[in-house]
Amino acid sequence: MIATLGRWKGMDRWFLIAATALASIAGIRGLMVLQNGKRSSWTLWWMIAALICQFGYLVIRGGMRGACPLRSIGEISVYLAWSLTLFYLLVGPMYRISLLGVFTAPVVVLFQGFALLPGRLAANPEKILNTNPWGETHSAMSVLAYGALALAAVAGVMFLVLDRQLKEHQLKGGLFRNLPPVRELLVSLERLLWIGMILLTIGLVAGLLMPHGHGARAHLIAAVAVWAGYIALIAVKRVRGITGRRFALGAVALFVLSLGVFAFV
Amino acid sequence: MELACLGLNHKTAPVEVRERFAVGNTKLGEAALQLLEISSAAEGVVISTCNRTEFYLAAEDVREAVRRLEIGLADKVHGHDGLYYRHESAQAARHLCKVVSGLDSMLLGETEIFGQVKQAYQAAHEAGATGPTLNKLFQKVFGVGKKVRTQTSIQEGSTSIGNVAVELAEKIFGHLKDSEVMVLGAGEMSRLTAKALVSRGAKSVIVANRTYEHALELAAEMNGRAVRFDDWLSVLKDVDVVISSTGAPHTLIHAKEIESVRRARKFRPLFLIDIAVPRDIEHACGEIEEVYLYDIDALEQLADEARARRSQQIAECEKIIEAELVKLL
Repeated sequence: MIATLGRWKGMDRWFLIAATALASIAGIRGLMVLQNGKRSSWTLWWMIAALICQFGYLVIRGGMRGACPLRSIGEISVYLAWSLTLFYLLVGPMYRISLLGVFTAPVVVLFQGFALLPGRLAANPEKILNTNPWGETHSAMSVLAYGALALAAVAGVMFLVLDRQLKEHQLKGGLFRNLPPVRELLVSLERLLWIGMILLTIGLVAGLLMPHGHGARAHLIAAVAVWAGYIALIAVKRVRGITGRRFALGAVALFVLSLGVFAFV
Repeated sequence: MELACLGLNHKTAPVEVRERFAVGNTKLGEAALQLLEISSAAEGVVISTCNRTEFYLAAEDVREAVRRLEIGLADKVHGHDGLYYRHESAQAARHLCKVVSGLDSMLLGETEIFGQVKQAYQAAHEAGATGPTLNKLFQKVFGVGKKVRTQTSIQEGSTSIGNVAVELAEKIFGHLKDSEVMVLGAGEMSRLTAKALVSRGAKSVIVANRTYEHALELAAEMNGRAVRFDDWLSVLKDVDVVISSTGAPHTLIHAKEIESVRRARKFRPLFLIDIAVPRDIEHACGEIEEVYLYDIDALEQLADEARARRSQQIAECEKIIEAELVKLL
């Protein structure tokens, strides 16, 4: 197995480039079809192909690292893009949320494009010799959670677009016709937040149990703050109620904020 | 065997004539057999809807068959000239394609006609009034109708106020089976719009009207419940759609009233349809975040736009029909 992976060493970047190209095709083709007032039935298949390439990248990169490839900002970005694609493929077709792929693809391209920038992914990454199961669980679950929360933010953006169109009576065009109903978007958004929160809670607990090095305190405080923010948003929605616009804006703002926080902490 | 069509529709005949030609759904097979008897044609189909009655014939001498048919129908026409249109061969097939595709309908692109023609053909077929010529024609025409509807936008968008309201409600709430509708005012416009929502599965209808008896009548018709007019605000927290069409000379629903129930509604989306003139709903209601307000002008404009979009599709539909006719003939 290791010998087989050895032959593929260095191919991780090509798998990532292929995944980025496929997600780009999904987004661009989806938008072009949408301009003609229709919905592309191919978006799903392009994204499945992108997921397969992402998986190829993760296997090779994981083999090179000897651990879950989550050690640099570039690796985290790709893992996040993979998680986002995975959740899109699980949630989109199951709940028949049309256009979710068209909105998700650019975010996947953005994360992977960031990882492909020079210096983000080392060609010969350092092998991890001592792995800690709590540390691995923390990293994997947290980034997986952010995949779900990213998709919640995507659903939030879709809601905001539709809400604006309905409010301003701008109901022409393929985008309006093909966007899912307001209520379905809000239900999906809440469902994704719950999934994200469950995974994030597991990741957070694992993070508290893992051995801490220098600088871990600030990271954990940031993680707890983000977690508390999401809990507050869900609690307000459940208990008091919140307008769809504020709920969607909250999901988008919290996701962008959490990305910003973890980029620096 | 030659093909011909003799017909009249909303463009050529007034309703008092059209109703004399109307054939009930259960009598279409019988009417097709009568058509063969009167015209001496070999095959026949009778299509009858509220806007048209058309006779399709296949005969060796189709002109003679049509002439006999016109003589047979003479007593229904009395006092009116130029009621019929007559098409032969390719022209008859072309006309049927247009009818099935909704291009000849009063409401351009409407979908009901497809099922009505299918029903008429099936009835004639079961009665033994069709043969190889009409069987081939109708089977092909149904294929053309489907192609026109799937490859163009001829049936997209709603062209009546009731349907625009339904389309918007579905865009906000998805399926309407969990949605409650409140109707303010028991007039005809409210009734039609509420009926359109109920036909698409709305969970229940609550009717409030100044004259309580009218509210009771409309509620009974919609299988809903009536409330006293002064109580409409108390039920607002439970409803998702409000249709307002009272004859009040001033606004009835104000932003402050909506604000008062927002917490109780947990800020759920609320769709307000104001089809009254003068308007019943204060414009400021639409500025509340979760409220989507549409008045009669907005709804009418959407219906107009849909009609214009459908009209732009006619040339595209005709192109498909011509291409398919080449294969058929």
